[in-house]
Amino acid sequence: MDFKKLLEKDYIILDGAMGTMLQKMGLKLGGIPELLSITDPEKIISIHKSYIEAGSDIVYANTFGANRYKLKDCKYSVSEVIQASVKCAKKACEGTDTLTALDIGPIGQLLEPTGTLGFEDAYDIFKEQILTGSDADIIVLETMTDLYEVKAGLLAAKENSDKPVIVTMTFEENKRTFTGCCIPSMALTLEGLGADAIGVNCSLGPKELIPIIDELSKWTRLPIAVKPNAGLPDPVTNEYNVGADEFAEYIAEMNKYGINLVGGCCGTDPEYIKAAVKALSGLEPVKREKNIPSAICSPTSAVVIDQPRIIGERINPTGKRLFKEALKNKNIEYILGQAVEQIQGGAEILDINVGLPDIDEKEMMVKVIKAVQGIAETPLQIDSTDPAVLEAALRVYNGKPLVNSVNGEDESLEKILPLIKKYGAAVLGLTLDKNGIPKKADERFEIAKKIMNRALEYGISKENIFIDCLTLTASAEQEAVMETLDALERVKKELGLKTVLGVSNISFGLPNRGLINSTFLTMALTKGLDLPIINPNMEAMTGAVRAYRLLACHDKNSSDFIEHYGSDVHETTEKKDADYSLEYAIEKGLKEKAREITTALLEKHDAMEIINTMIIPALDKAGSDFETGRIFLPQLILSAGVAQEAFDVLKKSIASSNESSVEKGKIVLATVKGDVHDIGKNIVRVLLENYGYNVIDLGKDVAYEEVLRAVNENDCHLVGLSALMTTTLGSMADTIKLLRENNCDCKIMVGGAVLTPEYAEKIGADYYSKDAKQSVDIAKEVLG
Amino acid sequence: MANIESINIDEALRYMGYKDNIDIENIRDIICSCEKKLLSSAEPRYCYKIADIERSDKITVKNTDLMLAGKSISSHLAECQKVILLAATLSDKADKLISLMNVTDVTSALITDAMASAMTEQLCDIAEEEIRREHGIKHTTFRFSPGYGDFPIDIQRDFIKILSADKKIGLTANDSNILIPRKSVTAVIGISDKPLPQKKRGCAVCSMNKSCQYKKRGAHCGF
Repeated sequence: MDFKKLLEKDYIILDGAMGTMLQKMGLKLGGIPELLSITDPEKIISIHKSYIEAGSDIVYANTFGANRYKLKDCKYSVSEVIQASVKCAKKACEGTDTLTALDIGPIGQLLEPTGTLGFEDAYDIFKEQILTGSDADIIVLETMTDLYEVKAGLLAAKENSDKPVIVTMTFEENKRTFTGCCIPSMALTLEGLGADAIGVNCSLGPKELIPIIDELSKWTRLPIAVKPNAGLPDPVTNEYNVGADEFAEYIAEMNKYGINLVGGCCGTDPEYIKAAVKALSGLEPVKREKNIPSAICSPTSAVVIDQPRIIGERINPTGKRLFKEALKNKNIEYILGQAVEQIQGGAEILDINVGLPDIDEKEMMVKVIKAVQGIAETPLQIDSTDPAVLEAALRVYNGKPLVNSVNGEDESLEKILPLIKKYGAAVLGLTLDKNGIPKKADERFEIAKKIMNRALEYGISKENIFIDCLTLTASAEQEAVMETLDALERVKKELGLKTVLGVSNISFGLPNRGLINSTFLTMALTKGLDLPIINPNMEAMTGAVRAYRLLACHDKNSSDFIEHYGSDVHETTEKKDADYSLEYAIEKGLKEKAREITTALLEKHDAMEIINTMIIPALDKAGSDFETGRIFLPQLILSAGVAQEAFDVLKKSIASSNESSVEKGKIVLATVKGDVHDIGKNIVRVLLENYGYNVIDLGKDVAYEEVLRAVNENDCHLVGLSALMTTTLGSMADTIKLLRENNCDCKIMVGGAVLTPEYAEKIGADYYSKDAKQSVDIAKEVLG
Repeated sequence: MANIESINIDEALRYMGYKDNIDIENIRDIICSCEKKLLSSAEPRYCYKIADIERSDKITVKNTDLMLAGKSISSHLAECQKVILLAATLSDKADKLISLMNVTDVTSALITDAMASAMTEQLCDIAEEEIRREHGIKHTTFRFSPGYGDFPIDIQRDFIKILSADKKIGLTANDSNILIPRKSVTAVIGISDKPLPQKKRGCAVCSMNKSCQYKKRGAHCGF
């Protein structure tokens, strides 16, 4: 018997709880139940046997928590525990058709960005389990709440074995997991990554899981697995409140959603499995709809392409001096700012392009994707011409992305389509080939068709193939404009594919570009454009999409449109501000005002003068008010934030006028490895930037080597390290040690709640900074 | 999910070093908007277990392999026969909100971070109240968390395991024993069958008084 054959059965019966059975036998809470496979194998075998007798086609070996992290202080190794456990299950299955599953539960630590466990570390933990459990027939990943962790596990399974993989995640009644993963995102991502069956287990009883199964059934073609708890537990006695017969009734009710694999989780025992078998025996399996919506997703948000959706184009260095500078300085904060601004403008997908000749594009791409996903729910379009960059990005992306792009050339198709298939992404095909962009719509259509057919051959389904018929500039090739739109229309109608178009190019070299862009956008939308790539910060562009959605009856009751424009009365309650000074704006925390005033000031003064005679004195005043207790920390930071706005205006002016930089010197900042508290460090960053220092902020939980590398690469002479916990002071000491061992020519300042001046000295720091204000004083001393 | 309708803003301001004479007019709007955002993002949840304790040279929680080590916890539970093991979290949505604010507006991030700490305490208060009512518990000690005094912080992993807090409320600890999501608390509350004298808190009665890292700097572990 194998899994494929099993799937021919009406229903595959899984087993019930292992932990519940062991607790009934007197296992102490907190013990490691997996060890019983070594110390008391007969007990484990007898539990498996009782499920086999109840009708289980697959039993889960006693390996749920047998990972490197959970077995850290245990005298048995991962492989000893897993091999013993699989052996118990196999022994119980002897002489039957029942299959053994290697059962893998959550690692027990949260992954980055919320936690500190790296994606590749998680992958290694799973890989070890998968390799040592190779005697099992099937791999199961279950009780998962973090889509990123599941991705690491599923990739590890697919890359290190050829066994079928069943993945079940754990949802709360709000149809989300604890980390916010929604059902569509789970289904889109896991089906893409090649899971063989997906579903739900634990946390809720069968009744509460019905709406969850209902939704899941609309989002996947894969067999659906369900393992409910025996109802909900009493917090004190831990007794579950749904009996075996009631359990089975609900299972029968779920049948209408097309479930295929059925078992039980916490609180269930062989009686529940028997009852479920009985309840299903008279039923006909229900076939599900085979069409899945075209969509891409992050873990928490799926964007369905059932109406025009805006792709934000701004994360791209082409023609942007500040952006290029940010990439060279690895200034992730700047890029994140661009992401947030576009989302607030109305972007529903963000294009990510970080290609620049002098930088390591792969490394930067991975960094940016992780950072953007750490703060934004918006799904991403990964944009690179280098397959190695694309693969690295596809690996670490959490969810299902869109890849920009392939074209009609065989080489491009052969290199990139296998990656799309393997990582379950959607792909954007450009209608060009080695002869360039064809002039005529028909020729572009033919390339689109070729791309589609190739993608289908690779097993990429139609809803995941998008086509860009390519915009040419109207000033150069006026006749080509309609050709693009005609090609788009044909691709949409005749091939049934979703269409994408970069819009802004159309107006290049013409006056009033905004007018041309928004008109072209509207024309394209009526031809069937699904994904305009635009600058969402341009009101006319996002406005055109929103208006189109209203007029084309996508935006029902105009609710989205009214939400955005309904209260369109700009408030002018502020008093007349002719005599506001920049200093006043900084003191009172008036960001918008500071921006306006600075812009106005630039007409009469140069940037350095504004900095030295207005901003710095205002900041110094805020600093001394803070020291004397007239204001407290959030107010100091507020003033700093306003000064930052003024600086941004000045920086842009300097960037466009080629004046020399206002920056005084580089400072590397990091919250040390293992620590995730970064508020203090961020405050220090803001103040330092205010005083004109170029801060290279490495973020939180930063590896020692990364600090060293940043110091060397940037030829940096001041490093600030932060740690909040006593448990991470050791990391701070080790970071300093590494810097010293490598003879870095830099001073080190340290700060954080548990630090003392004595300890700072002991671990070899040059300065102890008691607060953010003091870090500025130190910077002045060291860098001037 | 626990229901928290407003945040104890006074407490949050105190965490940020607020003193009575400071005029906060220019941050009032930011405070209001941070409160709204945090209340709509955070998913406050808690789980707990009530268990007997046994004393030998150390305190162990009955029917588990959890040991409560150290002089501080020992004296804290001196008059107690049972304990409530409590774990509470605002979920990773609070962390994510603060991370986002770190990009858009550090002032809001700072204020929201302090508010989230205050909200976590409120969640624990609510949890304690509900548990006491549900089980008719009269006499309890204040909450004592790993890291207070000499109560070792490396108990976090076992604590989470005993409560299945990862499964029930999504709470984990990293290799440095930092709770993740960040705005989370684990605590031991002693239960006694007779009235307990009002226990003193603070450095003066702490067994770590002389060697404490926090105290040296004028800070405080929470005890």
